[in-house]
Amino acid sequence: MRFKATILTALSLAMGLAVSGTYAQEPLKVCAAEDEMPYSNKKGEGFENKLAQLVGEELGRKVEYVTWTDPRFYLRDYLDKGLCDVSIGMDTGDPRVLTTRPYYRSGYVFITRQNDNLDLQNWDSEVLRKAERIAYVPGSPAEVMMRAIGRYNDMFNYEQELVGYKSRRNQYVKYDNAKLVSEVAAGRAEVAVLWGPASARYVKESAAPLKVTVIPDNNARADGEKVGFHYSTSMGVRKGDEALLAQLNQVIEKRQQDIRQILEAEGIPLLPEQEPALAMKKQD
Amino acid sequence: MRISKFARHVGTTTTLMSGILLALSQPAQANKELDKMSRQNTNWVMQTKDYGSTHYSELYDINITNVKNLKPAWSFSTGVLNGHEGGPLVVDGIMYVHTPYPNNVFAIDLNNPDKILWEFKPKQNPAARAVACCDVVNRGLAYAPQGKDYPATIFLNQLDGHIVALNAKTGDVLWKMENSDIAMGSTLTVAPFVAEDKVIVGTSGAELGVRGYATAYNIKDGKQAWRVFATGPDEDIKLSKDFNKANPHYGQFGLGLKTWEGDAWKIGGGTNWGWYAYDPDLRMLYYGSGNPAPWNETMRPGDNKWTMTIWGRDIDSGEAKFGYQKTPHDEWDYAGVNYMGLSEQMVNGKMTKLLTHPDRNGLVYTLNRENGDLVNAFKIDNTVNWVKHVDLKTGLPVRDPEYSTHMDHEAKGICPSAMGYHNQGIESYDPTKQLFFMGVNHICMDWEPFMLPYRAGQFFVGATLNMYPGPKGTLGQVKAMNAVTGEFEWEVQEKFAVWGGTTATAGDLVFYGTLDGYIKALNSRTGEELWKFKLPSGVIGHPITYKHDGKQYVAIYYGVGGWPGVGLVFDLKDPTAGLGAVGAFKELAHYTQMGGGVMVFSL
Repeated sequence: MRFKATILTALSLAMGLAVSGTYAQEPLKVCAAEDEMPYSNKKGEGFENKLAQLVGEELGRKVEYVTWTDPRFYLRDYLDKGLCDVSIGMDTGDPRVLTTRPYYRSGYVFITRQNDNLDLQNWDSEVLRKAERIAYVPGSPAEVMMRAIGRYNDMFNYEQELVGYKSRRNQYVKYDNAKLVSEVAAGRAEVAVLWGPASARYVKESAAPLKVTVIPDNNARADGEKVGFHYSTSMGVRKGDEALLAQLNQVIEKRQQDIRQILEAEGIPLLPEQEPALAMKKQD
Repeated sequence: MRISKFARHVGTTTTLMSGILLALSQPAQANKELDKMSRQNTNWVMQTKDYGSTHYSELYDINITNVKNLKPAWSFSTGVLNGHEGGPLVVDGIMYVHTPYPNNVFAIDLNNPDKILWEFKPKQNPAARAVACCDVVNRGLAYAPQGKDYPATIFLNQLDGHIVALNAKTGDVLWKMENSDIAMGSTLTVAPFVAEDKVIVGTSGAELGVRGYATAYNIKDGKQAWRVFATGPDEDIKLSKDFNKANPHYGQFGLGLKTWEGDAWKIGGGTNWGWYAYDPDLRMLYYGSGNPAPWNETMRPGDNKWTMTIWGRDIDSGEAKFGYQKTPHDEWDYAGVNYMGLSEQMVNGKMTKLLTHPDRNGLVYTLNRENGDLVNAFKIDNTVNWVKHVDLKTGLPVRDPEYSTHMDHEAKGICPSAMGYHNQGIESYDPTKQLFFMGVNHICMDWEPFMLPYRAGQFFVGATLNMYPGPKGTLGQVKAMNAVTGEFEWEVQEKFAVWGGTTATAGDLVFYGTLDGYIKALNSRTGEELWKFKLPSGVIGHPITYKHDGKQYVAIYYGVGGWPGVGLVFDLKDPTAGLGAVGAFKELAHYTQMGGGVMVFSL
């Protein structure tokens, strides 16, 4: 029922835009990962594929995916060069692009087995000090805190093992979100620390019941600088492409409920949006 | 036995005190026989040829006048395609041939090389393949002659981290020990090394957070005699109480902890997968520990001792008498595990026991091997630029900040590249000419560190390495060098690297193999090329020479691969793949393809 309603609104809106828009007939070129689940893959199974479809519907433009394999360089080699025009998931305020108004806010999470019943609320927890294995993604805020609590060196080898001992020199080494969640589910690690949206569907799919705790956003490095664990997400367009930015902002505003539905279906922990000014400031 | 040992020590320049201690702690069966066999030039009983790692044979039947007539005598395909490092052993009429993973061993009767005498094909965990960084090489076998309580033994290090002792006559397994855990990212590519009643085994995998160690196992049963680490507390590193007494400025105690931030020493690297040398008179073992980990230098402030160190250790206890760190706080992956060549030469009018080490960092170090005194340190090529010179007083390299790899700095044209101007080749020393013959890489690099934002505050931290031929336009060189004076007698350019090293003979010859598949013989006085032969595949191992039935032979493995050949082995196209090696060697595929075997030559 709800699905039908969505299609109808999409159609009527698309028609409206088709009249006023200049490139109504041209496809919307979306920069999408070939295989970065749960965001996006070639088969369109990621939640950002669904969001892209929604945007396409709303704009009355067919979605054309321009797929990349190396997330390190996709903005430089694809978006900046005009091979594609929109990136669905970016930190709000990312200085490399123009970002839309945030369409959701989420946080990093601790994932544990329900049966273990661990008392794990924040980075000060004794659980993290004692855990034999903590699965996390290097380069994420989790690494900074792993260092701060003195567990980085203990976990170094495990962190390498998770990617089959591939060196991060001269290549992109993917930490597979599904694998990290399964490490906890299978009892190989007590805790996984992951970006909530990146782990949500695997937590949901796990045969072993898992517990998710959103990490509070009150962490700091040794020198006192804040280490952010909550982030707002926007869509991103090339600098200068204000027209598309305005259209996307419209879509986000009009289709708020539908976007939320997709994110909730994914199981993403959603946090209340901050004041826009605050969100921007944090990204500086 | 003890009395005669004691007397020998008194006779040498070693101190009386250590002589007594050593004599008392000495095991029952000192492995003198191996030392003796290594001097019989009919045999080739260790990878390094002899304990001094001279790779020099007194055979002269093949010499500058007739080498042009050298022809293939026989050949043997190993049936394995990956890179073949090291060389075969020849012991009393039998040739022992090894292969890269799956690490098969073949014994061939030289009376009848048509037929395999015995073979050993280990079953090992194929997961090891994925862990090895730079092809699945193996640097060779070791041999121990029969002792009081063990038969003649062949030692094989397997990629999956095991050392296996095989009966040299039958190939039967005598014992097997786990040295390295592939689940921890540690593999074995190093050749075992037999000294006294022990076999020494190193480690690989520094990049992956392995804390490097060397282990001595008893030949007879594989029981661990000692294990020494490169980093951590002094007890783990095993420092003698007079460690670096002669050179306190090298650093002495507590530095395996103090030169690291926090407990970063636990993942500090410093593995040793290169070559060993041994002085039976001093009863000292020499080897180098490799690069610190992780590779990103900003993550490990400090000197990172004792990675990148030349060690002189007592063979019985494993205790270090001296340690000299060549590259404190390495930024380039200049793993210091290379060749250790021993010689006796005049220094300031005094005959001195020396150790010469061409390092990956492009410097050649010559030390007094009794106490670690730095005799000389000079550039192996004038294009080395990360360092201006080594201060011989302090032992420290004086760096050029332009070629640093700091996170906020993009360094262009660093020479040498991460492969080093000298990598894993075993070199040779002709004592009659006081010349070392060096196979040299001539490869430089750009090192661009990156820290790219992704999303949710995540960054990708890494570096892009691009390697390419050095300023002289080729990828390799061969040089004749006096290690005391630092003077070069001659040098020749090679289109590709001379990865496997050299072998010298009393026939005034230097033999070596090239990456594009030539075995060549040069006049060791002039560098003039006298003979070459194109092998079925490129060479990353070293030549050997031996005598059988009164005839001199030269043998060499072919089988391109290793780090320089990763592009071929794994069919890589991206120039920055293979840690940047693919770009440097992209031409190679036009000259040679994979293949593995041994080829034997005679007049």
